[in-house]
Amino acid sequence: MSKVQFSEIPMRTWNWLGVNEAAVDSELLAEARKLDVNIEPDHQENMVVEYRQESYGAVNINVGENASLKLTQLQLLPEDREHANEINIVLEKNARIQLVAVETGSRAFASKVNIVLKGNKSRADVSVLYFGDGDRSLDMNYVLDFQGRKTVGNLEVYGGLMGQSQKIFRGTLDFKQGVKQAKGYEKENVVVLSKGVRNRSVPIMLSGEDDVVGNHAVSSGKISEDKLHYLMSRGLNPVEARKLVLEAAFNPVLELIDDEKLRQEIDSYIKERLENE
Amino acid sequence: MAQEKTYIEDIERTLYDIKNVDKSKYKSQSGLTEDIIRDISARKNDPEWMLEFRLKSLEVYNQLSLPNWGPDLSELNMDEIVTYVQPDAKMTGSWDEVPDDIKETFDRLGIPEAEQTSLAGVGAQYDSEVVYHSIQEDLVKQGVIYTDMETALHEHEEIVRDHFMKLVPPKDHKFAALHGAVWSGGSFVYVPEGVHVEIPLQSYFRLNAAGAGQFEHTLIIVEKNASLHFIEGCSAPKYNVTNLHAGCVELFVNDGARLRYSTIENWSRNMMNLNTKRAVVGKDGIIEWVSGSFGSHVSMLYPCSVLKGENAKCEFTGVTFASKGQNLDTGASVIHCAPHTSANISTRTISKAGGKATYRSAVKVTKNAPYAKCSVNCESLMLDDISRSDTLPTMDIEGDEADIGHEATIGRISDEAIFYLMSRGISEEEARSMIVRGFVEPIAKELPLEYAVEMNNLVNIELEGTMG
Repeated sequence: MSKVQFSEIPMRTWNWLGVNEAAVDSELLAEARKLDVNIEPDHQENMVVEYRQESYGAVNINVGENASLKLTQLQLLPEDREHANEINIVLEKNARIQLVAVETGSRAFASKVNIVLKGNKSRADVSVLYFGDGDRSLDMNYVLDFQGRKTVGNLEVYGGLMGQSQKIFRGTLDFKQGVKQAKGYEKENVVVLSKGVRNRSVPIMLSGEDDVVGNHAVSSGKISEDKLHYLMSRGLNPVEARKLVLEAAFNPVLELIDDEKLRQEIDSYIKERLENE
Repeated sequence: MAQEKTYIEDIERTLYDIKNVDKSKYKSQSGLTEDIIRDISARKNDPEWMLEFRLKSLEVYNQLSLPNWGPDLSELNMDEIVTYVQPDAKMTGSWDEVPDDIKETFDRLGIPEAEQTSLAGVGAQYDSEVVYHSIQEDLVKQGVIYTDMETALHEHEEIVRDHFMKLVPPKDHKFAALHGAVWSGGSFVYVPEGVHVEIPLQSYFRLNAAGAGQFEHTLIIVEKNASLHFIEGCSAPKYNVTNLHAGCVELFVNDGARLRYSTIENWSRNMMNLNTKRAVVGKDGIIEWVSGSFGSHVSMLYPCSVLKGENAKCEFTGVTFASKGQNLDTGASVIHCAPHTSANISTRTISKAGGKATYRSAVKVTKNAPYAKCSVNCESLMLDDISRSDTLPTMDIEGDEADIGHEATIGRISDEAIFYLMSRGISEEEARSMIVRGFVEPIAKELPLEYAVEMNNLVNIELEGTMG
């Protein structure tokens, strides 16, 4: 199978780091599940997109003036499958998107999300949860493209890695010239649970405007021994203690999933993997 | 109401911009050919292995492409660059023997004065050759070697051969290969085991010839449990043609040793500054980088620290100030290769008047480096809405025992801060100046006093162009 370039960071860096672009098998993109959505002005919508078997999915959304959308996307493919998905969102004036993305399935996946904050005072709140175990490969590329004034974009990412899993997370806040009083924030917290993982993070901030506030932060580390020791002193075994810590780490995203059944499915899925490791 | 700003087109940089009449003794032809390299090598009386090294580097240069990331380098035409300019002066240990025009240049830059007051040794390079070198006698007695690279190549050939471009091999990138082919000048420092050089050494690189390149090589070896502070300064007058700087710095910090490498770079605005700096640090060793980038038209500069020994440490403190016509792409990289290694990277970037400042970094933790710690902090200040400030850090971490953190911010001087200072009777211009000086203070405090003063002067020169 031949590889094709699937996504690229907005500004390239050293090639030896291997983070400039993501490639996927061309055949993966042949079977597409595509969805075009237009949220009318002043409307509020709630959508859930679930990937359970699809090789590739693309969602294109326009959120009209004063409209808002909560989009929950879950990727729960079986472990023997590969997957790619993309989300392209344009926000008009005063529009809002709340995107909750859960990337827990498939043997290898690449996802790209591009949100254009086109209209003044538009807002994007993006929460991402990823989890890798075994020899899984996770590749994510999220871009918040600030084009309107007084726009707000937040990108919060919570991840857990174990086994020999490999992950690249690229998150970009791109403040275009003229986006006066725009604010952007990006945070990635990674909990590392095994020696064999490879964890790559690329938090990019681009600015052609001085009247903005942009912050990003990344932290990566294992669960502290003190924390585990404390939990085990309360009667939990090591697996239970780790499960509890990870559950707490993922909770900011899990609690945003409205469907209790789905939330429990993800929770159980992660716990099962922890036990199998 | 929108704030209006007035820009002064040309800021006077008299001190750095005075040109001397080009009295070079010899200039190679412009461009890059095997004949030119053979000619340079012959004039330098290189050993045979060095000629071979240069020719192999040329082959590598011709095979490699320009980087497909970073600033646009299409303005650089190697066919127009003169790679070797031999000044009409011989290397000497007495300023009295340096030709008047060259000595006056270094006088203006304050080098002989600093030598008297605060340095243990000085090297001064003019175009492609070192014209002056000195070192205090007591250091010589302790076995410290501080000389130009050409002398080192002949008098300490084995040491040079064992280390030269071993940390930065010509295959590293196109301009490393270029450096390997045409290098000339630079400093060699050897600090024996257990010797502490209490007072800094300084090498200053001045490029006077228009359309020329400077390719100095700095090789420093600090043996076990020894220490050194080395200062590097560089400047050039402005011309209307492109000049090129593709130097190379290789630092070997052995077990328990400590090296501080400070740079104030103030190249002219026609300079392409494509410099490579790399350090390898042994067990319990420490490398400290203090880096101020103010000049050049385009810069690509990312000092790299390879933490090879257990408990090796890196401290990187940098400031970059990009103004009109400047695209300064700077940063740092750290590679953790051993357990308990740690790094702390702290940078400030400022952009104004259409300047573009990019902070780029890489932190790599290999699986052989459990318990590695790294903290990266990057703050960017934009002084107007026509400039750019980009940050592009990458972290690549293997294993579960590393503790890595990264923080970055982009913003401008808050109106509240200006208002507060003005309410205390300070003019708006001075208030801005104070805030910018405060912003770079963490870097200034890492420099020896006279260099901190020079950096503040450079900040003031840059700010002169902006009226609130």
